[in-house]
Amino acid sequence: MRQPSLTARRVAAASVGLVLAAGAAACGPKDNDAKGAGGDSTPHKGGTLTVLNSNPQQDFDPARLYTSGGGNVPSLVFRTLTTRNRENGAAGAEVVPDLATDTGRPNKDATVWTYTLKKGLKYEDGTAITAADVKYGIERSFAAELSGGAPYLRDWLIGGADYEGPYKDKGGLDSIETPDARTIVFHLDKPEGEFPYLATQTQFTPVPKAKDTGTKYEEHPVSSGPYKVVSNENDGERVVLERNTYWSASTDAERKAYPDRIDVRSGLDSSVINQRLAASQGADAAAVTTDTNLGPAELAKVTGDKELAARVGTGHFGYTNYIAFNPTIKPFDNVKVRQAISYAVDRSSVVNAAGGSALAEPATTFLPDQKSFGHTPYDLFPAGRSGNAAKARQLLEEAGYENGLTITLTHSNSRDFETSPEIATAIQDALKKAGITVELQGLEENDYSDTIHDVKSEPGFFLAHWGADWPSGGPFLAPIFDGRQIVKDGANFNTGLLNDKTVNAEIDAINKLTDLDAAAKRWGALDKKIGEQALTVPLFHPVYKRLYGQDIKNVVISDWTGVLDISQVAVK
Amino acid sequence: MSEALVATQAAGTGPALPAASGARQFWRRLWTQRAALVAAAVVALLVLLALAAPLLTAIEGQDPTTYHPSLVDSARGGVPVGPFGGVSGDHWLGVEPQTGRDLFARLVYGARVSLGVALTATAVQVLIGVVVGVAAALGSQWVDQVLSRLTDIIVALPLMIMALALLAIVPSNFPRPLLVALVIGLVAWGNIAKITRAQTLTLKGLDYVSAARLSGWSTWRIARRELLPGLAAPVITYAALLVPINITVEAALSFLGVGVKPPTPSWGQMLTAADVWYQAAPQYLLLPAGALFVTVLALTVLGDGVRTALDPRAASRLRVGTGRRQEAKATAPVATEGAS
Repeated sequence: MRQPSLTARRVAAASVGLVLAAGAAACGPKDNDAKGAGGDSTPHKGGTLTVLNSNPQQDFDPARLYTSGGGNVPSLVFRTLTTRNRENGAAGAEVVPDLATDTGRPNKDATVWTYTLKKGLKYEDGTAITAADVKYGIERSFAAELSGGAPYLRDWLIGGADYEGPYKDKGGLDSIETPDARTIVFHLDKPEGEFPYLATQTQFTPVPKAKDTGTKYEEHPVSSGPYKVVSNENDGERVVLERNTYWSASTDAERKAYPDRIDVRSGLDSSVINQRLAASQGADAAAVTTDTNLGPAELAKVTGDKELAARVGTGHFGYTNYIAFNPTIKPFDNVKVRQAISYAVDRSSVVNAAGGSALAEPATTFLPDQKSFGHTPYDLFPAGRSGNAAKARQLLEEAGYENGLTITLTHSNSRDFETSPEIATAIQDALKKAGITVELQGLEENDYSDTIHDVKSEPGFFLAHWGADWPSGGPFLAPIFDGRQIVKDGANFNTGLLNDKTVNAEIDAINKLTDLDAAAKRWGALDKKIGEQALTVPLFHPVYKRLYGQDIKNVVISDWTGVLDISQVAVK
Repeated sequence: MSEALVATQAAGTGPALPAASGARQFWRRLWTQRAALVAAAVVALLVLLALAAPLLTAIEGQDPTTYHPSLVDSARGGVPVGPFGGVSGDHWLGVEPQTGRDLFARLVYGARVSLGVALTATAVQVLIGVVVGVAAALGSQWVDQVLSRLTDIIVALPLMIMALALLAIVPSNFPRPLLVALVIGLVAWGNIAKITRAQTLTLKGLDYVSAARLSGWSTWRIARRELLPGLAAPVITYAALLVPINITVEAALSFLGVGVKPPTPSWGQMLTAADVWYQAAPQYLLLPAGALFVTVLALTVLGDGVRTALDPRAASRLRVGTGRRQEAKATAPVATEGAS
């Protein structure tokens, strides 16, 4: 059971871009002190919003989407029990009710969660949304032919590991109860205080059993949100959405739904998207992107132009790029060597290689620097702005490498400015000053991913990154540092192979907490404690910068997604 | 080569060839072409720059790999600080965006890799291609069939995939630039072989070759004395075009992680990294692109000059070594050579 879940997680990690694509959009103050380009900044209803994307809205079925917080485009069509708070910054990292009246009522040890649906909820055909439909939607996601979602339901629900979905197993999943049309109860096999975060994912979308067409459902899923699918060409390459007249703002406090029509066009090159948004001609004036950031060179151009610079949204997504060590391989078994490298790293060159201070923030903690993750600032091996070569040399001497050291850094050859050669050469240059000769081993992207996630092939010293499925310490720390999640045959994310009883016990203890603020504090403390072992060298947290068209108003960017939220955007 | 041209060659200047052959004659003909001389000088200069890279960068006081974070504007994506991409007394051609590495040093060190790999690969391609092509044209029908099909297969194989496969199985301690050159040479000689075979078949039918054969010359002697001079023109011209192709193949392989490893610079790598910077830091793209342009142009002009010097018909127009130069000067203006 553990293995499939981790495979799925790896898919998630590898496609964070996609998650985001599905997830959110970019940037700007909600109170609109920073204006759309012309005069009246009050958002009005009407008009067509164009979305210019590189990745298509593939498998547009709530059972199959792997999203953070329900996604960006999907969230226009699929309502869920809970959802993310559509606010700027840290407030946007909170979970709020959506179809349900609250974020869930747990029993004492957080193993039973009860939700009540709001009154008057309707699908696009005017029929009522019931608790049984939510249960059916979740059950569908267990069907092999509708795979793709996150592994948590399978891991957490009693009986989830063996359930094969409603097509094969007509009896349904007993751990989800629907005592009446508005009540749904979940029975978990272990305490999970973060269940409300999970309930934001599209698997918690109601699906009317009578309208379920199996694998064809993705062509026309029945909408519970403010928009319905009018057309879907080439598996999500072009998706046109129009108003769902049965959706009522009185039951939905989160989605604003200003435009009448939303035209999602995908398959575009990222440079084309940014050029079109910059030019802002015709329909592109009312356009945004939900998956394309500005690159370093594009940022250099945009910042030199006041008009363009005013149309850039900035956001933070919980994500960390870091150096990972495999402590079973020499010389990285020696904590002093790991510490020496931590001291020698030059974060200013690394940040520049990642696109500069506007696109990356230096990291000294493994947890992202946001409140919802429980970020507790620490810098256990202070390297300063540009590395502490003297301290690194001293540690190497103590470790018995007074004549220097030659090591190999494994990285990917993708051009993502994350695990790519640019970052690797910046580290190589910095470690040279500390007497460490770094040889580079660049691997093709899929090869790289397979190599670092298999304990048998895992190199000693490599670049890695991690992003969470929701903005909390749990999904950020547990897969990487929980010793019980070490997988022997592939899909291992605990690359430091840490199996520390006290760490495992603390993870279990925090999962029991239903007070998310209290849990966040303890995740932060745990992060610092794990940091002492120097199993990773945090490098930087990315910052997202995205252009939007001239007519775009009401730009909201939360810390949950880091990108502009389409449900808030107005074009009039 | 058209029928008319072949006829001219056979009838008009054929007899002059034996008298005018020889290296000395070739150099005299080349010497009369100013463009080719300039091109040769440029190529020589490029090679010299590449060879003298350590000396030149020592004079500049820089090296190709050291980062200078203070020379780029971190808040603006890492664009170089200062005019023309950070040109200064310390950095003659400015610095690289995001890293601040010295562009002059990277350009001259990059020339070593790019020119070295491309020229070596071209030499390997020409060697294999000419041997296979001539052997196919002169050998028995059976030999021709085997070699021609082999050539077809080599031409049809996707170069990049073959190169990737070959590069992936070689141990990483083998010198990388040499390996890349050999791999490109070994998988991309098909077109040279085809051109050589076709040209050899044409030449084989000409009277002077038939005459040599009737005189009882061995096949090897015919190939060396009668065919190779006639092959030089198309082969050298094509080889001059292969060099820039090989430079870009090296770049692509390096980009895919099986070519030259970073931080070793090559022009191809620089171009790949620079393409997105064409608006924000144009010199970053223009330097390797300009270097590549000059190299390709010089090699092409030089190749054309060499071809002209080797082509008996063109040589007669140049009125060099035919013994009729004085006579021609008196009667007609010197005809300019049009490439045929």
